[in-house]
Amino acid sequence: MNRLTSSLCVLSILVPTAFATAQQVEVEEFVLPNGMEFLLLPRHEQPNTITAGWVAKVGSVNERPGITGISHFFEHMMFKGTNTIGTRAPERDAEIRDRQNQVRDRMNELIWGEQYERYFNGEIDDPWDAANDTDELAGLRAELKALMDEQQGRANAMRIEEMRGQLGSIDDDETRARIEQAIDDLEAEQELMGSVLKDEFDRVYTGQGGSGMNAFTSNDVTFYFITVPSNKFELWAWMESDRLDDSVFREFWSERDVVHEERRLRTESTPTGIFQEQFQAMFWIASPYQWPVIGWPSDLNSYTYQDALDYWNIYYRPNNLVGVVVGDFEIEEIKPVIEQYFGRLEGSDTTPPQVVTLEVPQMAPQRMSATGDVQPQVDIWFQAVPFRHSDRYALEMLAEVLNGRTGRLYKSMVEGSEIASSASAGVDARKYGGAFTMSAQVKGDSTPEELEEALLAEAALLQEGLVEEDELQKVRNRVAADSFRRLQQNFFLLLQLGYYEGLGGWEEINDGPARAQAVTPEDIQRVARKYLVPEHSSTASYYRSESAAPVDPELAALDPQMQAMVKQALAQIEAETDIAMLEQGIQQMEMQAGQAPPQFKPALDYMLKKVRERIAELEAGN
Amino acid sequence: MKTGNTMTTTLLTTSMLVLAVQATAQDGIPAHPDELVFDELVFTPPSSADYRHELPGGIPVYMAPSSEFPLVSVGFTFKGGGYLVDEETTGLASALGSLMRTGGTGSMSPSEVDESLDYLATQASTSVGRTSSSAQMNCLKSNLDESLAIFMDIVRNPAFDQERLELWREDQVEAMKQRNDDADSIMRREFRTIMNGDHYRSRNATQATVDNIDRDKLGGLHGRIFHPGNLIITVSGDFETEAMLEKLETALEGWEPGEAVPEEPAPDLENTMQPGVYRVEKDIPQGKVMIGTRSITRDDPDYFAFLLMNEILGGGAFTSRITSRVRSDEGLAYSAGSAFQPDVEYPGVFVSFFQSKSPTVALASKIIFEEFDRIREEQVSAEELETARQSFIETFPQNFSSRDAMLGIFVDDEWTDRPDGYWRSYRDEIASVTPDDIRRVARKYLDPEAMKVFVIGRWDDIYAGDETGRATMNDIFDGQSTEIPLRDPLTMEVAP
Repeated sequence: MNRLTSSLCVLSILVPTAFATAQQVEVEEFVLPNGMEFLLLPRHEQPNTITAGWVAKVGSVNERPGITGISHFFEHMMFKGTNTIGTRAPERDAEIRDRQNQVRDRMNELIWGEQYERYFNGEIDDPWDAANDTDELAGLRAELKALMDEQQGRANAMRIEEMRGQLGSIDDDETRARIEQAIDDLEAEQELMGSVLKDEFDRVYTGQGGSGMNAFTSNDVTFYFITVPSNKFELWAWMESDRLDDSVFREFWSERDVVHEERRLRTESTPTGIFQEQFQAMFWIASPYQWPVIGWPSDLNSYTYQDALDYWNIYYRPNNLVGVVVGDFEIEEIKPVIEQYFGRLEGSDTTPPQVVTLEVPQMAPQRMSATGDVQPQVDIWFQAVPFRHSDRYALEMLAEVLNGRTGRLYKSMVEGSEIASSASAGVDARKYGGAFTMSAQVKGDSTPEELEEALLAEAALLQEGLVEEDELQKVRNRVAADSFRRLQQNFFLLLQLGYYEGLGGWEEINDGPARAQAVTPEDIQRVARKYLVPEHSSTASYYRSESAAPVDPELAALDPQMQAMVKQALAQIEAETDIAMLEQGIQQMEMQAGQAPPQFKPALDYMLKKVRERIAELEAGN
Repeated sequence: MKTGNTMTTTLLTTSMLVLAVQATAQDGIPAHPDELVFDELVFTPPSSADYRHELPGGIPVYMAPSSEFPLVSVGFTFKGGGYLVDEETTGLASALGSLMRTGGTGSMSPSEVDESLDYLATQASTSVGRTSSSAQMNCLKSNLDESLAIFMDIVRNPAFDQERLELWREDQVEAMKQRNDDADSIMRREFRTIMNGDHYRSRNATQATVDNIDRDKLGGLHGRIFHPGNLIITVSGDFETEAMLEKLETALEGWEPGEAVPEEPAPDLENTMQPGVYRVEKDIPQGKVMIGTRSITRDDPDYFAFLLMNEILGGGAFTSRITSRVRSDEGLAYSAGSAFQPDVEYPGVFVSFFQSKSPTVALASKIIFEEFDRIREEQVSAEELETARQSFIETFPQNFSSRDAMLGIFVDDEWTDRPDGYWRSYRDEIASVTPDDIRRVARKYLDPEAMKVFVIGRWDDIYAGDETGRATMNDIFDGQSTEIPLRDPLTMEVAP
């Protein structure tokens, strides 16, 4: 047999030479007089498009209790327009917003005051729930709703809807024409009434071929981006500099509901969302990373318009922003456009405050266990280093030794002992702190405890012995090849440049691969010994909850659609107290049983049995 | 905003800002983006013929070289996929996709394949999709020959190692156990059944069907799909065209074409589940909803009108009506909209979707049905249609912007016999859709009475609607609904 593996020893000589010249991206970097930084990367391999974005160097880490989630809320507010975009009447819109804010501030005073008091006294279960409103609060809530309707011009919209409903049933042409005219009149009036021009920001971009418009918020940065046709860079410059110059937090209160829905979607309706949130809250001791990016529910309700303005004035000033442009352009063409448009942003005399709270060293292991609709699994997190720390590269290489189909975890836990269906390790390096993470999911009858033991045994091996040179070379090869692969798409280039710059320096994109290549087996052993220690660990074990209420096996044996039908009938049978009616039901069913197709027979038999049981029950009651 | 220090000065601030905007207009910045003037972007879609080559035996090869990175990507796409699998071995397609890559070859053990590829830093993957299958490789230019040799061995001589097969089987069972954990996965599964009835797309692997899979069945399906008669090749990255053709010719030597695969069977549309509301009980704080109906085939003359109708109704993010009303107006959902995926051989599915806290599920559903009525009854405004048209026209060049995406289009078009000139006339077709066309297709395809509504969540809370009384589930199909019991994750029977 011609076994290809003989080439393995040859490869170790062959491969490294390929990485002598690691790819460098040539970024044009400059800073405007107002302090806004720009990174430009022309790339003509993806013709006719430009992907552009900007990073605000702010995330949940910059928040404080009471306003958690506000960084992420900006990500929503920034699409609501300015005094030019998104409104028909900027002055009237400002006036309505002002009235809304006054009402809402008064509501907050009442909720933080008497409603919180009632909550602490155990009189109500949720101080924010409208169902628990006092009369005054209910009145204010209605007032706020009316102001939101006024801003949207909803009164007209509802009358129009009503008249449209009437049109369907009217045949008389003259009446139809009259109603249609009335609708037209109202529509004309609506132009005057609603001060909001819905989603104009999105519409301008969409109509001009903008695509992939989105934003995300992390613990450390907020990133806004879009792809535009390459002839429309000026549109991007117009739209983005406008919203940075003149943003208006329109729909500030109704958008809060959308964020609550987002929280329900991402955190509360997923199998592990809530548990992971609580695990983070446990893992980070002093650090502001302990609260979730989306925010605690009470804070989501609490931050005010004024809080947002204050936050804006600190973190959305040009000296805290980085613009990134990647795509089919020439630097000399777009640089003057950037200077013209972003140059109009007013600079700031102050810089955002340092995040001063340093994480404290953990002195004892922490542990939580959770039960839910979830595959049993374990997560082990160790306190590690921030993004800029030089030990990060050794930790990343250590994780790579463990990961992948030929990595140690797969070989020992998935293929070897077969206790895991998957297992992995990683580095979560943030701006001000970091973690080394390990996790695995059970297979068959294994338990989270066995997984934990096996993961820790792998950590111990790395502390005791040196990684073989061949094993490390394999990881180096993969890291090197991936350093090219991740440069292949404009969007990912943009993300890396912006994210790295937000965390410490965009140069990581060029320097990182070489620093990873330089990691030695001794480095890996050193960081394993230093960081992968029990005192600095937090462990979450997940267990599957026992299944819900048992179902009658006879019912369960029926075809699913039939079961649904039977269940509805059962509810009626249970509710029925008149024996005569039940007996009548038996007669009907017996008649049907003769005529019904054979597949209905088991269901009918089952229901007959249940009706007879119900009759017996009622008779016993008598 | 920069001067908006307190709320009480907002009014003053606003008028100052309006003045400021007018002032900047004099610095060459127009007052509104509508006033911007752009250079024309002239774009002609690439012609597949310019990239197409043929190997002996007529195997098409689409090539797009670029020396930007020292990487080479080779893709083999084969006609045939999951529809060829019998019901009692459901899961065989996924098994084949996985085990070709993980089960070793005639000349290398599974771990030898893994170690060699990893050492070369070569990525290789195989997959068996619904209607087509693929094998992909991405390697450093410097080790193309070694990588290609292993890759071809995987594609031509997979060994389906028994131990790896058992490992795969056990992984499947672990994955099955998680089927009812996430509401989204329950929803996708049941919605497929609701829309397709008794069709291969509705089938779910069970412990029993996975147990029925053996090496012979893997070999059988491999033989039917992975042969040169079903093959189109794509190559991108850093290579010389002629040299690459020679390499491929050598790599394919002695590989005989097999029989052509049959066409994909269509679902029996007359016998799918009846319109109405179907629900699954799940203890989550949101109700998740999908509302679906059959749409059209990809080559239907109504395609462009349908595309734009969907864009205006719910496909076009914030600009679309459903997103705007459900999310922005009412704050009822984080994501709400509609999607339309036409199939080639039979009508695809149109679906509208959202997720909302239990008491407002009824209201959001009602709004969506109102929007179905509205787009059927009233003409869309010229402005709305123009925004939708421009969106497709202006983003058109992006379809071809990345080489791999372009090659993907060429392969897809060849396999599915896309009419000649389709891309050349694409923008004209979009531009010619009228408001009447939109209303016509909405009336034809979006029949509210024909909709199948799927809801997962806490039904009692959902049914009752919200306290303001604006809607309850009685507004949807008169409050009638059918409960779909949760199925056992390993047998897909109703749970005991």
